[in-house]
Amino acid sequence: MLLREVEYARPATVEEAVSLLVAHEGARALAGGQTLVNVMKARAAAPDVLVDLKDLHELRTIGFSSDGLLEIGAMVTYTQLVGSSEVEVARPILAEVAATIADVQVRNRGTVGGNVCVSDPTNHLPPLLLALGASFTILGQGGERTIPADEFFLGVYMTAVGEGELLTKISVPPASDAGDGFWGVTIGRHGTYVVDAAATVSGERARIAIGCVAATPVRATEMEQRLAGSDFSEESAREAAKDLGASLDPPSDVHGSADYRRRLAEVSAVRAVMQAVGRRKG
Amino acid sequence: MSTPAPASSRTISVEVNGEAIEYEVPARRLLVHFIRDDLGLTGTHVGCDTGNCGACTVHVDGEAVKSCMLLAVQADGSSIATVEGLAAEGELTALQRAFNEHHALQCGYCTPGMLMSATALLEQNAHPSEDEVRIALQGNICRCTGYVNIVEAVVAVGEGTGA
Amino acid sequence: MSPSNNLLQGQGSTAVETGAPEVLEKGYIGQSIPRREDKRLVQGLGTFFDDVRRHGMGYVHFVRSPYAHAKILSIDVSKALELDGVYGTITGDEVAIHTDPFFEMSVEPGGNIKDYALAVGRVRHSGEPVAAVCAATRELARDAADLVEVEYDPLPVLVDAEESLKDETILHDDAGSNTVWSGVFDWGDVDKALAEADHVVKIERLHFHRFSSTPLECAGALVEYDKGTAEWTLHCNHQMPGVGAIWMAPALRTGIDKLRFVTQDIGGGFGNKICLHPQYVVLCLLARKLGRPVQWTEWRTDQHTANAHGNERTFMDIEVGVKADGTMTGFKVRALDDCGAFPRYEPLGCIIWAQVTPGMYGWRNIRVDFTQVCTNKSPVSPNRGYSRMQHLWLTERIIDIVATELDLDPVVIRKKNYVKTEQMPYETPNGCFYDSGDYAAALDIALELIDHGSIEERRKEAAARGKLLGFGIGSTLDSGTNNFGQSTLLNPDLQFSGNNEAASVKLDIFGEVVVTLGTVPQGQGHETTSSQVVADILGCSPDQVNVRRGHDTWFNSHAGFSGTYASQFAFTGLGAVKGAAELLRAEMVQLAAAVLQAPEEAIELADGFARIKDGPEEAALPFMALGAIVNANNAFLPPDFNPTLNHRYVCRPYFGMVDTEKKTGQLTLTYATQIHAAVVEIDPETGVVDVVDYAAVDDCGIRINPQIVEGQVHGATAHALGAALSEEFVYDEEGTLLTSNFYDYHVPHALDMPPLKTGSMESPSPVAPLGAKGMGEGGGGGIHCVCAAIQDALASAGKAIVYTSCNPPHRVWSMLQDPESTRANVSVESR
Repeated sequence: MLLREVEYARPATVEEAVSLLVAHEGARALAGGQTLVNVMKARAAAPDVLVDLKDLHELRTIGFSSDGLLEIGAMVTYTQLVGSSEVEVARPILAEVAATIADVQVRNRGTVGGNVCVSDPTNHLPPLLLALGASFTILGQGGERTIPADEFFLGVYMTAVGEGELLTKISVPPASDAGDGFWGVTIGRHGTYVVDAAATVSGERARIAIGCVAATPVRATEMEQRLAGSDFSEESAREAAKDLGASLDPPSDVHGSADYRRRLAEVSAVRAVMQAVGRRKG
Repeated sequence: MSTPAPASSRTISVEVNGEAIEYEVPARRLLVHFIRDDLGLTGTHVGCDTGNCGACTVHVDGEAVKSCMLLAVQADGSSIATVEGLAAEGELTALQRAFNEHHALQCGYCTPGMLMSATALLEQNAHPSEDEVRIALQGNICRCTGYVNIVEAVVAVGEGTGA
Repeated sequence: MSPSNNLLQGQGSTAVETGAPEVLEKGYIGQSIPRREDKRLVQGLGTFFDDVRRHGMGYVHFVRSPYAHAKILSIDVSKALELDGVYGTITGDEVAIHTDPFFEMSVEPGGNIKDYALAVGRVRHSGEPVAAVCAATRELARDAADLVEVEYDPLPVLVDAEESLKDETILHDDAGSNTVWSGVFDWGDVDKALAEADHVVKIERLHFHRFSSTPLECAGALVEYDKGTAEWTLHCNHQMPGVGAIWMAPALRTGIDKLRFVTQDIGGGFGNKICLHPQYVVLCLLARKLGRPVQWTEWRTDQHTANAHGNERTFMDIEVGVKADGTMTGFKVRALDDCGAFPRYEPLGCIIWAQVTPGMYGWRNIRVDFTQVCTNKSPVSPNRGYSRMQHLWLTERIIDIVATELDLDPVVIRKKNYVKTEQMPYETPNGCFYDSGDYAAALDIALELIDHGSIEERRKEAAARGKLLGFGIGSTLDSGTNNFGQSTLLNPDLQFSGNNEAASVKLDIFGEVVVTLGTVPQGQGHETTSSQVVADILGCSPDQVNVRRGHDTWFNSHAGFSGTYASQFAFTGLGAVKGAAELLRAEMVQLAAAVLQAPEEAIELADGFARIKDGPEEAALPFMALGAIVNANNAFLPPDFNPTLNHRYVCRPYFGMVDTEKKTGQLTLTYATQIHAAVVEIDPETGVVDVVDYAAVDDCGIRINPQIVEGQVHGATAHALGAALSEEFVYDEEGTLLTSNFYDYHVPHALDMPPLKTGSMESPSPVAPLGAKGMGEGGGGGIHCVCAAIQDALASAGKAIVYTSCNPPHRVWSMLQDPESTRANVSVESR
């Protein structure tokens, strides 16, 4: 509950933030702190330097790129996401899912950047953004680069954001006629997910990502292939989901055995797909 | 202008319940301990060590947050409101009166956090439904009341039948 | 013997009062007066122990064992002591020198266990305190604790009670066995009942799991030591200081009066703040050693890991005799209780369930073969519902399993077997008396609230949505005011019997009525309800009655069993308040009569005055006048008349003696009824259980403050629902607790609660001073009915038997995948 000694800095610009992260080995970016502060309280991790991104207002915007991508600054909070008219117009599933993260107090502080960079297998946004085909812009001393979702999540607590680098924004394609779905089982209402699935269905194709079953979210590619060109009925979805569980190697813990999670993965995938199908336009 | 180097303590300027305060705090000090131990405002409580229970809920810059999940240094430049600031000069708010009328507290330990979360809700939504109240209080654990009377009290304030 | 008359003998500052308990004419009693405690609490102006500060105080952090079972080879505190700001340390070796082991309740072998305030030579559960560090700030104490080097030699770990019973690894060498206590309770003739039954239903195994009420405020204390008087003051949240002192004083080799317990506001107790004496003794030693006040606040993780769990009990080899018409004739069971690493209060759990031996039912032939063992898990403490809840869960599971197996309706079989209201007071097979109640009527109220008639229709409608709907009843008793003489069934050499509670009421110089309580409220509204009782007796308004907050040894307003526990405040606590107020009243009348020169019978107390009934306006004395006479202006009183207007009363309920051979006797005095009913919907693909409708009906006799009673029912329901659906203390094979924080140990939040309907009835208790039974614990009704509802829902999907008390989604899912393995647990032999 009580942190180790740490040093704190509050840069005024993104460039200053990156310089600080580069200059101090063992420095961590502090966004909303809803995970990092907890981790430090448990003394499970003890960075030497905290670089507070609080004053970096350029990371708090939500807008559109010139080619119509929804651009969400890394420091955008879940509350901002939930209340954003841009999100509502372009990709409302983001707001719907964000509205179920924990509670109001956490949503007022927690950020999208924090959620993805922590890359905790039970976090809400990684499987969702993987299914939506989002991309992630990273700023380092060498400049800026953009990584697609399927190359961003590398492991538990590990992403493509390296030492001395900062995630600056997440870009999400607008839904246009696609329908999105998200379904899973949580520990209590709005609690931590035991297994979840995100799906987006557009025209004849689906993208499906399963969370909580591996170190990083897993694309259910076999199921996607079986669904392609199908009638997208519930029967077809169930048929396509068979063997999904067998293809996974999920953990066993207090909240469920590996077998239970395998089954939940199939059920969640089917339900997420059907939700998406129901919202598909045209 | 160069950024000041990282430091293990910082003199922070905060406004607490309307009062301007300057205080030197270690970087590692949690906001809840700054409020309780340094400022002596013991109405804000600690109920867990993983940021789940919400007994430490205060307002920072007008938003309900868990003060055990923030470092005091992060609040530098911000305004903080705690439960002690609700009743101006001992005059209880409608919400505080409603809690009393509806028996919305038993041991009283979660109560400051509940009041801060509910006050934030009512500031944004003057007539919340029962469901909206439950969502707003989802981050505040109570082990005595089962939430029944707490929700009733907040809804009553919204309906103007509070107390 | 009938308990209905002549049950109160009290010791006050004047004469002993006897007589039939009267139900006072309702004035403020019976009204839902808003609580006076709220004013300070809603402003954040309550004083919880962590709010108390002392100049120069040090903060304590405990160094705890990461191993569930290990020898301690060495402890090196030198690096911790070198840290700037560290005031000192203490280890088990010092504790073993300066203190004696805590008194053990059980007979051998459990009675030989040596239990010290810190681990001495060996650790027996993960999180067990091994050393303590005291420093200038909380953070420094935490840092210093990391510098204490402890070398351990791990030993084999026991996390299963049945394994522990084998005594292959012994946890306490002094005991020589892991068995703390065992005994057989045998009433009636169960073998005959089974032989003559038309059906014998056999259940191999049922398991009541480990969980606790996890009060939001953790345990702790600020301890000061006065070197001049060798006295300690503990600003703390111990909810049973009388018992705390009985443990601590001999251990510290000091007198009871050298320990002053001061409690103010407490953030929930629920029985989890009864066994705090080990940590408190460490604080006392540190305060004395370091010559400064020391403070310790328990962390949430430590509370879950190492403070107190509710008791865990496995029921085996159950056999139930049932007649063709559905009458249950008796049952036998083997019960195995897991008390964790140290028994402490828990041996009483071996007996206390016997307050409700037959549950709500009329069977007369019962045998319980009870054993308690130690394991390498957290010690247990009397968690809300203590021991009766576990037993009542057993009887409710039995009823539902019998109903399922014999195809009987759960409502019909209950009404058939319930003790009938005409039978009250009803003597159970082991000599307890259910004082009053109408279980069938309460059940009817619950059924109406839940719209029982529409269940089958709702079942079909849910099935159309792909959900399994189930309905369940949980009937339970909240037994209160317990007879500590039951401890002699555990250990005939224990010098405990009866019960008591004290209170003082005085009228002060300016007419203030001041009440001090012996109880230790943690949210039950004792200040408010006491003021209601006193106001009715003295004829004034509750606003004129000041009730001092909390418990303070120096109030001298407590007795040996003082505290708030075991659902007894309405009986003993308010009984003491009533007794003291009545003594005061009598004196006020006497004094007013003398001043107004009228006979005592002509004097009434009303509206804050003592006056002549129907007399002239001048013939009225405000309370202030009476207070002033006695305190400041008493010369004119005759020499043989010496009113004090300050009375202390001890409410001593009368139980008679307990028969240690037959294991019979009045183990408790009052029995509040709670009938719960739940409707659940289960998602068969995921096992998620949704409670869609819920009703709780309470009958605790006269309700002093109905709103407070209802609040307790809400809270007990929430605790039970949490336990039934998610709260579980789970250990891995190494004895590490896997659910040590609120992420993994999920408690109900606002969105988790079902729509909750409550109902009530009042069957006054013939034995309680105000007709009000103790209530509050609740008896776990929610657990019983959710288990029943789940089993009912699964009836159409494999007919699994619910065999354990906690059924989170993964467990329900397993029951759906493999109902047969749960059904293999149950068999029926029929003639």
